[in-house]
Amino acid sequence: MKENMRKALLLLTVLPCVPAASGCKKQATVIYPDVAFGAYDTEPDWNDPSKQVKLGYRESQGRHVFYVYCVWCHADATPAGPSNRSNLTPIAPLMNDGEKLNGESDEYLQNIITLGGSALGKSEMMPPYGKTLSAEEIKDVIAFTRTIAQPVYQKPGRPGPPYGTK
Amino acid sequence: MPAEDTGKLSDKLRLTFALTTVLCVLVLAISPLKDFLAEWKHYKRSYSKFAQGRLDTKRLLADYNPNIDQVWLPAMNVTDRCTTCHQGITQPSLGEVSVPQPFRAHPPVPHNVRDWGCTICHRGQGPATEVSEAHETTLAWEQPILPAHFLQSSCGTCHQGDMKETPQLMRGRELLSRLNCQGCHKLNHVERAGLGPDLSSVGNKVTREWIYKWLKEPRTVLDKDGNTTTNGYESGEESRMPKFRLSEEELKALSAFLSLQKATPLTPYKINPAVLAVWSKKPDLISQGEVRFRQMMCTTCHQLAVTRAGETKLIGGNIGPELTKVGSKVNEQWLIAWLRDPKDYLAHANMPQYGWTDEDLYKVSQYILNRLTDSDLLTNVPQLGSPTDQELQTGKRLFTDKGCTSCHSLSETSQQKDFGPDLTALGRKNASELEFSKSKIDRNLVSYIQAKLQDPVSVNPAARMPQYTWNQGDLDAVTTALLSQTGDAPTSALQHLVVPKKDVVFQPVGAFARVFERYKCYACHRFNGYGGTLAPDLSYEGSRAQKKWIADFLENPQTIRPTLILRMPQFNMSEKDAGVAAEYLSLAVQKAELDPESVDARPFTSTMAAKGKELYEVKYQCQSCHTIGATGGYVGPNLNNAGNWLTPAWIEAWLRNPQALQPDSIEPRRNFTDEEVRELTAYLITLRTGIKPPKTKSAAHSRLSAEGAGR
Repeated sequence: MKENMRKALLLLTVLPCVPAASGCKKQATVIYPDVAFGAYDTEPDWNDPSKQVKLGYRESQGRHVFYVYCVWCHADATPAGPSNRSNLTPIAPLMNDGEKLNGESDEYLQNIITLGGSALGKSEMMPPYGKTLSAEEIKDVIAFTRTIAQPVYQKPGRPGPPYGTK
Repeated sequence: MPAEDTGKLSDKLRLTFALTTVLCVLVLAISPLKDFLAEWKHYKRSYSKFAQGRLDTKRLLADYNPNIDQVWLPAMNVTDRCTTCHQGITQPSLGEVSVPQPFRAHPPVPHNVRDWGCTICHRGQGPATEVSEAHETTLAWEQPILPAHFLQSSCGTCHQGDMKETPQLMRGRELLSRLNCQGCHKLNHVERAGLGPDLSSVGNKVTREWIYKWLKEPRTVLDKDGNTTTNGYESGEESRMPKFRLSEEELKALSAFLSLQKATPLTPYKINPAVLAVWSKKPDLISQGEVRFRQMMCTTCHQLAVTRAGETKLIGGNIGPELTKVGSKVNEQWLIAWLRDPKDYLAHANMPQYGWTDEDLYKVSQYILNRLTDSDLLTNVPQLGSPTDQELQTGKRLFTDKGCTSCHSLSETSQQKDFGPDLTALGRKNASELEFSKSKIDRNLVSYIQAKLQDPVSVNPAARMPQYTWNQGDLDAVTTALLSQTGDAPTSALQHLVVPKKDVVFQPVGAFARVFERYKCYACHRFNGYGGTLAPDLSYEGSRAQKKWIADFLENPQTIRPTLILRMPQFNMSEKDAGVAAEYLSLAVQKAELDPESVDARPFTSTMAAKGKELYEVKYQCQSCHTIGATGGYVGPNLNNAGNWLTPAWIEAWLRNPQALQPDSIEPRRNFTDEEVRELTAYLITLRTGIKPPKTKSAAHSRLSAEGAGR
């Protein structure tokens, strides 16, 4: 009789734990890690080709635009071999130059690509791409340059001048 | 006793009763408790908490409800509950990488979640409400989430044409086509490549020993231990001929059989004895041959291994085969006959027929036979002697059994249909339908495809599929393209969205047809969507270039784009052929809306040209990309001869909108005023080099040999 009571008590304490435990176990996976899905695309680190930088969809689209339009003047190696960078005065910044670009806001970069260098008081050698690339494509390129920046880019930068300042 | 018993029993009964009641209550509590602790509810609560910690809480929680969210699109057979946990998916402010998953916004893709759902692209189990069931393989669901790295394959299930947004998929399809996977497998929306070389007369070209070596190790790449290469050097491109796992007997039999294939007898060409007498004694015969070889730009289509600063690299194009060791491969008489007229040996050869003098033919062939060689090429090949009847019979049978006929034709065999399995629905296969054998890879489709591509025998010891060599990028690209082979579109409702690939053909008529075929213009240039992509698109050449310039250029091509390594070959084209081509291109290959005569250059004044020069140099600084004189950049074409090259109508139209004439041009479209356009045009047409390209061969020779010496 007493034994039975003890068994009952034990059951009473153990049983509620079953559903609770099953719930607890699932709560353990709070954030599903990105790595489980792999990176959408990668780009070798410009300073250390053995490292790969992970790119999301947006950065990957920007990478494509970069390697078609921008690479000729903003990188030291191009798909055709030599870079046009040294033919420019002033020399164009490398697109992974974080010291130069991390301080600039996304709006500022969007403006200089859209309107060209001279519109923002910089070199005319940077032509405007606002009629050639869509605003989305330009945003993609900026997102790409942010991921390859050395030193690593951290938001936010200084606010850019209003659109269209001359 | 009975009363006592009853009393005892009733006591026991009461206890049992109490216990059962408690049990019942507990059992009944399981379901609501489980529901309360459901995984998705946890995410619902954490999202609400997360949103409250952000500045735009109101917007983030605008359509929040504590229940299951789902995207239900009955017409597309989509019931996706992914948004139950992925709640921030349409919130633009949650796009940052710092936002924890599953709340991060989806990147801005052309298809939005509300109209398309998630599983059409990402796969996984849409109606599931548990993380593991939604994403992973379960007993009841074998289509797990597709790794992001191969996501472009989903685009390919509907979009069959080219799309610049999906470079990995495009590359994969290009490889499937280039490696002629369709020779053995059925595949959807992959262009059918030309077959491998016709082997009907291969016995005229190479020896039995070379065939033996080639079949054993088609192209051994330099390995980590420094082992020597067989027929080339490591490059980004894998050889198109894969390695078959052949036994010694099989190698002997196949090489015996192939070495006797001489369907068309070889007619040796006799080089003029006077030329031989002079040139065979010259000490610089071979170096002169090399100069001519370079001048003719053979490397535009063929690769050569070049060692610079201790590093060996393959340089050149991939339209034709790699030639680093070809001198140890082919026989001299065959080489001379081939160079003179490739279509005598191979009716559908992609090699253009150059205009040869006996002198050039001798010099270049001697260079190829003496310099592009490797004395160790056949070191490990046994002495094979003459073929026996037994070997010939086995060889003939093997040629069919091993699937050689899928890519190569022979005069006496016909192509086999469906040698390998149909792959048109491979991308939808469940893991349980695949054969993994004893391999230790993960049991999923992606690992299966990659293992099979890298080492077919690892997943199927009896595989007939030969061994390819891949670099990681190409392996992933081909995997992506294969995953996109899902048979039909994901749902029948999408079937009407499928954009099939269009087949275009550009077939000129008249005298130009012969020139076009002889010089294989289409191997590199594109005409209204037909042809290669190596060289500039010529669809509007008649509107762009002046007739006289085209003729001069064809006779003696000059480099317009300085960075190019792969340049227009020096065909030694006759004046007549060049004239025919210039005539046809300038009259028949125009842009409909752009009449080259529509702009009259006569009213342009020197004042306008001077203003244009200032615009070019100061206001717009075009020299950042273009070269005039000796200064400027080399992103765009050299403009030194723009006045002789381009039509004024083309220049004006181009300045107004380059992409209207050439959609993939990287020249930015500017805001030129009409006046500026006219002034810039006036300036550009004054740019003429004035010197007619050297006509005589000797002049061309001396110029180029001087260049060669300067290098």
